[in-house]
Amino acid sequence: MQKVLIANRGEIALRIVRACRELGIKTLAVYSEADLESLHVQLADEAICIGGPQSADSYLRADRIISAAEIADVDAIHPGYGFLAENADFAEQCASCNIKFIGPSAESIRMMGDKAIAKETVKKVGVPVCGGSDGTVETEEEAVQIATKVGYPVMIKAVAGGGGKGLRIAHNDISLRKEFILARSEAEKAFGNGEVLIEKYIENPRHIEFQVLADRHGNVVHLGERDCSIQRRHQKLIEEAPSPFVNDDLRKRMGEAAVAATKAADYEGAGTIEFLVDPKGNFYFLEMNTRIQVEHPVTEEVTGIDLIKQQIQIARGEPLAFKQEEVQYNYHAIECRINAEDPARNFAPSPGCIDLYYAPGGHGVRVDSHAYGGYIIPPYYDSMIGKLITYGRSREVAIERMYRALSEYLIRGIHTTIPLQKAIISDARFQAGEATTAFMEEFMKNPPKMD
Amino acid sequence: MKKSDLSEFEVEEENFKLKIKRDTGKEAPPQIISSAPPPAAAPSVPAAQPVSTAAESGEAEADNATYITSPMVGTYYSSPSPESDAYVKSGDTVSNDTIVCIIEAMKIMNEIQAEQSGAIAETLVENGQPVEYGQKLFRLA
Repeated sequence: MQKVLIANRGEIALRIVRACRELGIKTLAVYSEADLESLHVQLADEAICIGGPQSADSYLRADRIISAAEIADVDAIHPGYGFLAENADFAEQCASCNIKFIGPSAESIRMMGDKAIAKETVKKVGVPVCGGSDGTVETEEEAVQIATKVGYPVMIKAVAGGGGKGLRIAHNDISLRKEFILARSEAEKAFGNGEVLIEKYIENPRHIEFQVLADRHGNVVHLGERDCSIQRRHQKLIEEAPSPFVNDDLRKRMGEAAVAATKAADYEGAGTIEFLVDPKGNFYFLEMNTRIQVEHPVTEEVTGIDLIKQQIQIARGEPLAFKQEEVQYNYHAIECRINAEDPARNFAPSPGCIDLYYAPGGHGVRVDSHAYGGYIIPPYYDSMIGKLITYGRSREVAIERMYRALSEYLIRGIHTTIPLQKAIISDARFQAGEATTAFMEEFMKNPPKMD
Repeated sequence: MKKSDLSEFEVEEENFKLKIKRDTGKEAPPQIISSAPPPAAAPSVPAAQPVSTAAESGEAEADNATYITSPMVGTYYSSPSPESDAYVKSGDTVSNDTIVCIIEAMKIMNEIQAEQSGAIAETLVENGQPVEYGQKLFRLA
């Protein structure tokens, strides 16, 4: 593999450039007209403009991306996360053009991209799933029958949804009938697929996900869990590893389930199995993300394993260099997503020029960001401008370090979520490891003064 | 910094300059001046080499000119086949649907229309050259 095209932007594109550099692989950045000054575009070995500022006119243009891959003679494409990363058609097009898609096959993406099929697939290999429908639900009557069987409250989920989209909750027959119809038409409009399934709604779960790696030789390992329960409207704000809730026994059982699910998906590459965990420690398969995730750095700092390099090495056909028993959890790591948003104004996006930028550093601090002094954040894409990761020998050290690093971080000219992150990190319930997915809603009812 | 006698502190690395000056007269917080020059200037890092060089030559001119730019990523061909004449040459007048070139993308030959009217002043790309989205192909007089 001599040259890789990076079909993404922002911090993950920079991350991929770095991994390729270390592996001696040349990089080609494809970018929109709004990203000419982006850091990874400047650092990549080659760069090709693929369209206008709108994602639909650039980063989602599979045809232009593959065209760029051909004229620049690349061997592989790394899709990052978002955009085309979980687009099975794109993976298929790469394969038919003889370009290696760094990720799983189109079939695996399709299988796990449909929530109903994914659930059936993992259920067959003994992975616990939420009680609910057996596949999709066609009629209101069926919905009511299922809800009566598993008990209210229930969740109506679009099979083509993901990332928190296409979810509705019903607490009784009347609201179920109403929400069922609405959910179907919403899903049709948003995803082009109106199919829904019904699941028992678990109240105040923890969102705990497992990182997996699968090579082309049948080896699958998990690299432990990440606790991503701090979410606002299903968007993760803070992630940590290991989870304060998971003990060795639960980790072993969930890890085995994650590996079984990954094998059932006939998977290749890096992936994540998401679970919901109830207060009693029962865990249920939520979905599989067939891509590298935003929060991958916390697993990297805990285990010492470079996940992007692993993706590339797996794509090159190399077997995994380590066995499950050799995976160690040496540190505790926390990540805060830094978004260009104003938490004091309902998270209004805050694009514009960063006229002063100073990132924190020191022992146990990692910054994954494409921002720099003078960088103008374009308004066309998501608001995440970077990730701040801290790690230490204990969770307490990681938390103290995060507070120190957040305090040191200087980003002037735009609003960021840094003040909110500091407030969450300082919260007693968060520090006690008690946060579930209900935390943020509670927290925002009485947000403390943010400095 | 308050505890030390340092009133000025400077760090310079290849991509990044940081200068902290403590104003010894007042109790103001240190002025942190971070000027990160555009990373393309970094010496040890090869600057991005866009496949096109036409973009750079275009910027050198006083840009009141109009251009026909590429609507796609691919390979530019000036004529319908190696044996034929070029679609257009300097001096030719074009209108909206005049075909000015072919851009081949993924084995498909796309006929590119001018989508504006004017006279071709200069052809900015060479036959067989890879072009990116937005790349200037022709300058119009």
